[in-house]
Amino acid sequence: MIIELTVNGTLRSVEITPSMRLLDMLRNVLGLTSVKEGCSEGECGACTVLLDGKAVTSCTVLAVQARGRSVVTIEGLSSDEALHPIQQAFVDHDAIQCGFCTPGMIMSAYALLKHTPSPTREEIQRGIEGNLCRCTGYLPIIDAIEDAARRMRTHES
Amino acid sequence: MAELKYVGRDVQRNDIVEKASGRIKYMGDRMQGGAAHARLILSPIARGRVVSFDASEAERMPGVLRVFSPKDDPGKRFNSALFLPDQTDLQDHPVFTDKPLFVGDILGAVLAKDEETARAAAAAVKIGFEEEAPLLDMEQAALPQTPSFREGMPQVVEGKIAYGEESLPGDAIILESVVRTQKIHHGAMENHICEARMEYGGVLLVETPCQMAFTVRYVLADLFGIPFNKVRVVKTPVGGAFGGKQEVGIEPHCALMALKTGLPVRLALDRTQTILATRTRAASVGRILIAADREGNLLRREMDVIVDAGAYATGTQRVMMAMGKKTSRLYRIPSQSFRGRTVFTNTTPAGACRGYGSPQIHAITEIAMDLLARKLLLDPAEFRLKNLVHPWDTDPAGGPALGNARIRDCLVRGMEVFRWNERRVIPSGTGRFRRGVGLACCTHGNGYFGSPYPDFMSMAMRFCEDGTVLVNAGLQELGNGTLTTIGQIVAEVLDLPPERVEVSESDTSTTPFDVGCVASRVTYVCGSCALELAEKLKSRFLGQCARVLAVDAHRLSLKNGNVVDSEEGGRRSYGGMVCRIAKELREEAGEYLHYKPEANPASYGVHFAETLTDTLTGTVEVTDYLAVHDVGRAINPRLLRGQIYGGVQMGVGMALSEELVYDSKGRPKSASLSRYTMINAPSMPKVGVLLVEEGEPGGPFGGKSIGEICTVPVAPAIANAVNASLGTMMTELPFTPERILAALSARRETNAR
Repeated sequence: MIIELTVNGTLRSVEITPSMRLLDMLRNVLGLTSVKEGCSEGECGACTVLLDGKAVTSCTVLAVQARGRSVVTIEGLSSDEALHPIQQAFVDHDAIQCGFCTPGMIMSAYALLKHTPSPTREEIQRGIEGNLCRCTGYLPIIDAIEDAARRMRTHES
Repeated sequence: MAELKYVGRDVQRNDIVEKASGRIKYMGDRMQGGAAHARLILSPIARGRVVSFDASEAERMPGVLRVFSPKDDPGKRFNSALFLPDQTDLQDHPVFTDKPLFVGDILGAVLAKDEETARAAAAAVKIGFEEEAPLLDMEQAALPQTPSFREGMPQVVEGKIAYGEESLPGDAIILESVVRTQKIHHGAMENHICEARMEYGGVLLVETPCQMAFTVRYVLADLFGIPFNKVRVVKTPVGGAFGGKQEVGIEPHCALMALKTGLPVRLALDRTQTILATRTRAASVGRILIAADREGNLLRREMDVIVDAGAYATGTQRVMMAMGKKTSRLYRIPSQSFRGRTVFTNTTPAGACRGYGSPQIHAITEIAMDLLARKLLLDPAEFRLKNLVHPWDTDPAGGPALGNARIRDCLVRGMEVFRWNERRVIPSGTGRFRRGVGLACCTHGNGYFGSPYPDFMSMAMRFCEDGTVLVNAGLQELGNGTLTTIGQIVAEVLDLPPERVEVSESDTSTTPFDVGCVASRVTYVCGSCALELAEKLKSRFLGQCARVLAVDAHRLSLKNGNVVDSEEGGRRSYGGMVCRIAKELREEAGEYLHYKPEANPASYGVHFAETLTDTLTGTVEVTDYLAVHDVGRAINPRLLRGQIYGGVQMGVGMALSEELVYDSKGRPKSASLSRYTMINAPSMPKVGVLLVEEGEPGGPFGGKSIGEICTVPVAPAIANAVNASLGTMMTELPFTPERILAALSARRETNAR
């Protein structure tokens, strides 16, 4: 079947199968390989994307459920020239080691800051509680998100 | 020493923008042009025999290319840790087995045109088994009367390390304890994956996110009888390793399928398969006796440790011996004995895992040290200070000298910053929530020197025509910053910005030999190789420049990308000089170095933890944390702190929640991330970091290892804090709510009596 949806701001028609997961559609059909599969059961958060502005684990969502909706992956955050302030904060705080969890982590952070522009550290920790990272111990990630929130507020005001 | 420009600075990691943007392609992200997809068929039973293997339905499915069964096994057995023929580790590992020895043992595979078909077809293969009762308990496995399930292979492999008088003074205060550490999943976010194909010239090309490309080459060439120079192993970006990608894993299976079909094969595991079918941290049971005099001076220690290898030998015997070797390098102890027994059970094979036995042996010894301190009525920190090694001590068991061992500085400075003396004496109270503090000390190595495994490497280094530098080395970046660190060292010597230095990774056909990014050897050994080679290249380059410019070489120096003449005052770019050297001398501005370390000093650390335990639910929160490390010199302080934070994350999991457990039939109960609890952001404590930088001879700019040691003392530090706050003597990791409640209830009963 063919569904229409918006991916990273562009309206797309995509051929899918009924059993196809959103994760598979993004990776295998659309080539958005930043979306990673780590556990296949919504536990690790590596496949986190935004669905109508809300962070979801794309391994537990069927592609057909995205019909008519809007999906954003990390490919949709930055242009070729400039990183998004969250990405730049991750770079500046060394919040990335192996990098495998990073796209999902940044999408969770993005969803958090969209709804909570001035989060406390506890809110940040809860905002990424569904994203596992085995390298960084989360601390630089939390610092980065705190800093990104600051930068985005300054940028907007 | 002159002011350093790049070493000791927070240089940005080389690949971080690529990773932040999501553009980096791990193996699973690459275009799969023409590759056949393989799905492993794993044993659902823990022990038994395949009596029927019916692939007819699978073979009829459209898109299925071939089904591999135990009949496709090459017959020869391998050991996944072996990298030279003299190494005596048991070679007991089949590729496809008809006698599965654990749930997850690899029976066969399906090769299909896509992943979905391969998965469906693998599920359609019908296999009949004759089951036998599995052996799951490692202590039972160690008993002499327990028969081996391993056909002609020993059930127990023993090792001993001892020194000093065996006798104990009659008035010694003695602590005896049994400490248990659990089986742990590495938890790298990228699951195991590999590709193999036949290349032009009959070369088997294997691409894999691995830590030791030359070990992969060794095992594959040996197993399949292919000339070594016809096996090319290329390391791809790694999404986390932690030792789980150190030993050869699924490469033999992938290569076998490519060899048998001539097709390019991609073999990818999912999380459950990675947990079941790869490697784990070895579980252990340590019986320990520590004797001290009344003042707290250690007199003797005896350790009898059983280490669970799981179903195959892998590198676990090495892990067990590595555990023993750590025990004579932390405290001054007049006499000691270590007896280790590697035993086999019908569980997923163990092997290398961050710390290589150090977290296990330090859990055993450091939890026991606290229990003895309690018996002696001594402050656990003061008790340790009486006994810790001093700089330049030797290893009484015959290991390499300890070097500039700064554990005492770590402890003294850490006590001050953590306010140990003040916090230790605060009563934990009698309420529902009990607060307490604990600490643990540890040591780890810097390479293989002094072990049975040779430690050496080679590198090539050259200037390019634009003055950039190419370092040709068999390294493996694992996310820990290896390439950045090496680049900083080279940039410092050759005086150019680190981003103008490109450091390569392992390709066994094009990079010089290296034993691998393992054994905490990269900074100390590979970093020193890079430093010495950069100095050699600098000297050659300056000599070449002098010849081209017809001046004395002593007038010339390298300064920020330019060759500077001190008399004439001229500045000429590296690139310009490289081109003139090429044209006028017909030479390359390049050098090669064979490097072998002549020392293997110890790194040290002390971790302090504060915990808050809920006596109603049995849950523990780590509320404060300080990690103090003797690192010689931090090459990149920010990257180094990142290693420590990650090490603490793994260690908190070992202390409180992570455990691979099995039911009575040997079926894993925690084979997915919903059932295997790794520490997430809300459970991660704030971690303070304090570095002791007194310089280590033989290390680049005085640097030594951090990546493994930072996870070593975490579990015992937390365990000691919990025991101190509850008045318990728990010794079985992890400290789950069930175990804590059981210990509290046992304590209440004892007190009531």
